[in-house]
Amino acid sequence: MADDKDVLRDVWFGRIPSCFTLNQDEVTEREAEPYYLLLPRVSYLTLVTDKVKKHFHKAMRAEDVEEMWFEYEGTPLKWHNPIGVLFDLHASSSVLPWSITVHFKNFPDRDLLHCPSSSVIEAHFMSGIKEADALKHKSHVVNDMQKKDHKQLWMGLQNDKFDQFWAINRKLMEYSSEDGGFRYIPFRIYQTTSDRPFIQKLFRPTSPEGSAHTLGDLLKEMCPTALPPDGRQISDHNLSEKSRRSKRTTCGRCRLAMGGANRQKTMQVSRSATRW
Amino acid sequence: MSCALDERDFRRCCRLLLRRSKQLRDGWSWEPVQGSEEGYLRKTAVRSVFLDPEGSGSDSEPRASGPSGPGQQEEEEEAADTDRRVIEDEDEDEDEGVCGVSAGSSQVLQYEYHILHSCSYAAPVLYFRAFTQGGSVRISAKKRQEAPKILPADEGRSLSLEAMWSSVHPNYRLRLQSSPLNTISLQEHPLLGQPFFMLHPCRTEEVMRPVLQAAHEQHRPVNYVLSWLSAVGPVVGLDVPLKYSTLLSPAASPGSSSDTD
Repeated sequence: MADDKDVLRDVWFGRIPSCFTLNQDEVTEREAEPYYLLLPRVSYLTLVTDKVKKHFHKAMRAEDVEEMWFEYEGTPLKWHNPIGVLFDLHASSSVLPWSITVHFKNFPDRDLLHCPSSSVIEAHFMSGIKEADALKHKSHVVNDMQKKDHKQLWMGLQNDKFDQFWAINRKLMEYSSEDGGFRYIPFRIYQTTSDRPFIQKLFRPTSPEGSAHTLGDLLKEMCPTALPPDGRQISDHNLSEKSRRSKRTTCGRCRLAMGGANRQKTMQVSRSATRW
Repeated sequence: MSCALDERDFRRCCRLLLRRSKQLRDGWSWEPVQGSEEGYLRKTAVRSVFLDPEGSGSDSEPRASGPSGPGQQEEEEEAADTDRRVIEDEDEDEDEGVCGVSAGSSQVLQYEYHILHSCSYAAPVLYFRAFTQGGSVRISAKKRQEAPKILPADEGRSLSLEAMWSSVHPNYRLRLQSSPLNTISLQEHPLLGQPFFMLHPCRTEEVMRPVLQAAHEQHRPVNYVLSWLSAVGPVVGLDVPLKYSTLLSPAASPGSSSDTD
């Protein structure tokens, strides 16, 4: 895993330049300038946008402000998906910076989960970690950890501390072939073409004959319509350039390349022909 | 012995439950996912609910103490504090249109329950949501020194998380109070993509192990989904009539190869 450290760092420190603009219909007391921010791919919108909130609050009266939510080209953005997934799913073919519209009224509670505090984000994040470990190690590793280890994982994410995060995460990512590696590989495939939020099923790291499964094998089984018929290579937008070279490697190594996703790996698979 | 329920056994248990539900007119239906064998059980119910945000209820349940060791107590209190802050932080402007109804009032709500299968936990999971039929269900607890007010809302307004917690019967409050976000929380429905409340499945094994163990020892069949539902359903107002079990219906226990369909 040491040789993958570069890849882990690349994934962790991935950033998306973004521009936050206040929705035109919001009632303001002053002109509200757009706010620019580099968003971490592995984090969550509501965790990293306190400054955005403060910036726009300054231009508004308290009574005109309710829970903040974000929208891109008419689509409410689901804060509970990692930022990288949201970008890849909705905006990866648009010009940078990613233009996000900020709202403080008319929260769409049929589409979005409420996010009243960071405890909610923490609970959601930890819930993903636990579910991933249920798949990898029947929950043994995460349950054997102390509460302070769980806290360290969260603090590492919240404060953008790679070493702090990975000091604990490496235990959750331990893949020993003698022990059978991971029981199942935690993954989620997001597509814009489906009502279903994501595809998540049981998938073993190796075939019954013992050969390691590749990313291509996973997609072939879970999402065959997404694969190009002429055998062109799959482009995975959650991987940095370096790790893209390793996309043909086995799923066991793939989860290392997917780094920060010690929770579910998230792969955005696009139906758009230009993507390939 | 294994407490795992795989997808196939889940569907088998659901079919048996469904059959019984039809006989009893209990209202469950199977909602398939287009183009696959996957699906979920669904039921709606109208329920009159007592919303009691203060948590005192009608009996004098002690707050968040529970069966914990000396070290754990502190952690639970800490978690409880964190979660209290969650409630306080929300809805800073909810004083608008306060109708002055005191906390602890009855509401009639339209509930919708879904039972899905979690492949990660090899267990059933309960998702649910509730809507008003006119009247209000948002609870503002911003000013803690005042009694939380029940605010007017539009018809068909969905229940807030705080209101949902406050509707849980005092008998089930213990775990909820010590760590509400790990018991009932707002989640995205994995098939529909809409916000639903979810009862966390990570403790299902704790609930089911004694049931499965006893049944195994006594050579009794067990319908995993039915037994699980009868244990967790009441926490969120879903009662399972005893009549489900009084007929000797053939059931699917984990690992059993019987299929009487």
